[in-house]
Amino acid sequence: MDSSYKDGWKPTPIDVTHPQDVDTASIRLFHEPAWHLRMTIEGDRSYLRVKIVRAAPLSEPDRYICFLDANDELICMVDDFHELPAAYQDIIREELARRYLTSRIERVHSIRSEYGVSYWDVATDRGRREFVVKNVGEDARWLDEKRVLILDVDGNRFEVADLGALDKRSRGLVEMVL
Amino acid sequence: MNAYKETLPESVSEMLGTVGLDDEPALMHLATDLLPNRQFGRQWVVVTEKRLIVVPHDAESDIVVVRMDELAGVRTEEVVGGGCMALDRRTAGPILVAYTQSLIPRFAEVAEGIRRLSKGKALSLPEEVERERCDACNRLLPEKNGICAACIRKWQTLRRLLRYLTAQPWRLASVVILTLVSTVLELLPPRITQHIIDDVLTPRSNFDLLVWLVFGLLGVRILFCVASVVTEWLSQRLGHRGVQDIRSDLYRKLQFLPLRFYDRRTTGSLISRMSNDSDRLEGFLASDMPLVVSKMLLFVGILALLLATNWKLALLVLLPIPPIVLGGSRIWKRVMRHWIRWGGRWSRLSSHLSESIGGIRVVKAFAQESRESERFDKRNEDLRAVTVAGERNWFVFFTVTNFLMSWGVFLVWYFGGRQILGGEMTLGALVAFISYLWMLYQPLRWFGELYNILLRAFAGAERIFEVLDSRQETGNAEDGVRLPRINGRVEFRNVFFGYDRGKPVLKGINLEVKPGEMIGLVGKSGAGKSTLINLICRFYDPDGGRIEVDGLEMREVCLEDLRSRIGMVQQEPFLFDGTIAENIAYGKPTATFSEVIRAATAAEAHEFIVQKPDGYDMKVGEKGGRLSGGEKQRISIARAILHDPRILILDEATSSLDTRTEWKIQKAISRLVKGRTTFAIAHRLSTLRSADRLVVLDDGKVAEVGTHHELMSRQGIFHRLVKSQQETSAVMAVGGGKVET
Repeated sequence: MDSSYKDGWKPTPIDVTHPQDVDTASIRLFHEPAWHLRMTIEGDRSYLRVKIVRAAPLSEPDRYICFLDANDELICMVDDFHELPAAYQDIIREELARRYLTSRIERVHSIRSEYGVSYWDVATDRGRREFVVKNVGEDARWLDEKRVLILDVDGNRFEVADLGALDKRSRGLVEMVL
Repeated sequence: MNAYKETLPESVSEMLGTVGLDDEPALMHLATDLLPNRQFGRQWVVVTEKRLIVVPHDAESDIVVVRMDELAGVRTEEVVGGGCMALDRRTAGPILVAYTQSLIPRFAEVAEGIRRLSKGKALSLPEEVERERCDACNRLLPEKNGICAACIRKWQTLRRLLRYLTAQPWRLASVVILTLVSTVLELLPPRITQHIIDDVLTPRSNFDLLVWLVFGLLGVRILFCVASVVTEWLSQRLGHRGVQDIRSDLYRKLQFLPLRFYDRRTTGSLISRMSNDSDRLEGFLASDMPLVVSKMLLFVGILALLLATNWKLALLVLLPIPPIVLGGSRIWKRVMRHWIRWGGRWSRLSSHLSESIGGIRVVKAFAQESRESERFDKRNEDLRAVTVAGERNWFVFFTVTNFLMSWGVFLVWYFGGRQILGGEMTLGALVAFISYLWMLYQPLRWFGELYNILLRAFAGAERIFEVLDSRQETGNAEDGVRLPRINGRVEFRNVFFGYDRGKPVLKGINLEVKPGEMIGLVGKSGAGKSTLINLICRFYDPDGGRIEVDGLEMREVCLEDLRSRIGMVQQEPFLFDGTIAENIAYGKPTATFSEVIRAATAAEAHEFIVQKPDGYDMKVGEKGGRLSGGEKQRISIARAILHDPRILILDEATSSLDTRTEWKIQKAISRLVKGRTTFAIAHRLSTLRSADRLVVLDDGKVAEVGTHHELMSRQGIFHRLVKSQQETSAVMAVGGGKVET
């Protein structure tokens, strides 16, 4: 991408009015009442019932965090939420954990493959779970060489973060079907 | 077991005992599959008529009991990979119940149930509970209500499949007889060679006999060739005819299935049943099955012959069979895996091809030609690697199985040779033995795969039979009230409907429409306009209330009579790939050509049609792709005019056309609606003005009814809609034009 800007070329500036560039220092996050997340941009405005989502949950899970209002309109995006105070980071982490229920496969007990359908029995970071994948060719998505996202018949998400880090037996089972 | 009344574990029952449930029957008791800490686990929710109880999953938390009248509302929220039901209380924070994606449909029903109970209404749950696990083996099913591949009733399915073959008894009988004959013919040559060796070569005499035997050998060969060609030909005809019948049955069934059936499945999965599954059956019935049957016969024949010739040696020969079958099927699996991978790579390459060729303008506009070439090279390289690996496995498969088979031959040479030396056996018998041996082993390497071939075919058959066994739309000619003439009076009486239960779209529609009246349906998107129209066409039946046509309940009317009296002009007219004339006459195939022209003229379409090089004989292309939007609309109007319906449905296009075309279409429509009961989903102000009455739908209910003038002066929802539309078009007029640079 950068190569197209050689010879002193600069991209033509584009005015974007939304999402606004919000100074991260002016962001306040708090629960009020305890079961609603509220967000105030200091000296500007306040939103009840704020939703927090990732812009790119798979490739950039820790960056580009978006804040949406009750109508699902974008309030602002924070490129790196580690710039925010620790207390807010905890709130964000909690909200993200609530919203993204992908389970990370840590060990594979068994995978049976029958007639194109595979039956998985795995240990994940959320505990043990059995699930069915209808078509491993279509429902498993390689995110890179070692990382794979698997969708079961109901649309539940399971991730193998690093195939190389699994124990040998689990890795063998996964490689057999994928 | 009911999905909403799961069996309570003892610990939960005990816990419930502390809140005293004796006099309150539990209406729903079920568990989530996610705990509040987002670990997998079961958290129990129990609902009675008056109370709602959430049982904690650990000892630390307290049991939560809420009275129904304390509940302010029930919400469900979907997150990525799951969902959450929030029960809002008047006095405290909401109770949250989390579950994974698997339970979202079930908890949508639960939430609706709690909502009803909290309003003092009776609970109603769907009667049809989706099956997630196989009833027989408790495996999770690949599709809800789908079939369990492991528990297919194999014999039943096979019998049903064979019924398609026994429908052609003569052909089937000749195939069976010819297969038997060619099996015998295939078994003869080694026997003849045995005689050549023992009666001619060993004694070095009997030249006459040699001539006869060689001619016999030749004759058997020729007969065998003829028999196998004829068998092959006949069994192909048998199998293909059977699959042809299956496919016809399937297509006919698909045409008559209700739309609800289609809602629950993707078009892709249905087309795959039609094409892939029937392809698979075709392969099975026409090639695999005859092959399997003839190989089995041959196997049995050879085994019998070997045992008869020399049973000791025959038993010895059986020794290498287990390793051949096991080894063969094991390597075969690897071979298949490579082929599957090869198929994947190949489809990736070809999709890249169609994408980049189809998008060649974009590729060129962004100057990405060389990058696309590089990406192609990469995929090409992948394909080559997989192909080579596949070929290598294929080669290994043959070498290994051949090697395993040769063990039998070694054994026979050794022990058979000893028997010859001992005078127990002749040389000819030994040579015949070895020829039979190869014939015996050849099919063995496939035997491990045989079971899988059968299962795959059965799974395909079962999927097809599942569709064939689905319930058709009710209201056939036999059981429906015939309705040859319709005046066109339509009445809605307290109609409720939702595509998913628990998410009603229409919530109590009441409306009376006089014959010949034109109704304009107005409302925001999602207000229920299209749904209302779907019900008029009886694509769906209402969940509650009734719709009457000429005073008769719609459900009781013969469906064919009803639909032949209803016409439709769609927002995006669907044209079939045929000529213009065929498309206009689609609803009335018996129409004469002059009728077609009259309809086209009335629809203001004649003029543009005759300007086409092929006029009425022009092929419209797939989905009418060779015609412009305005042309397609006018053809669909002509189609409706020729169909001459009493009830007309007009789903107006939102996209605007140039003024002249627009004017023509308006003229055509005004001719079409005259004298017919018309329901128009209207966007254009001109249509709204010409409607006798406007019906404003809001949130599934009739909000306002009246003429354009009446509604404007009332200053209600309609007034607001018109105002906002005018503002938008004003903005578009100012800022929507070309941007000067």
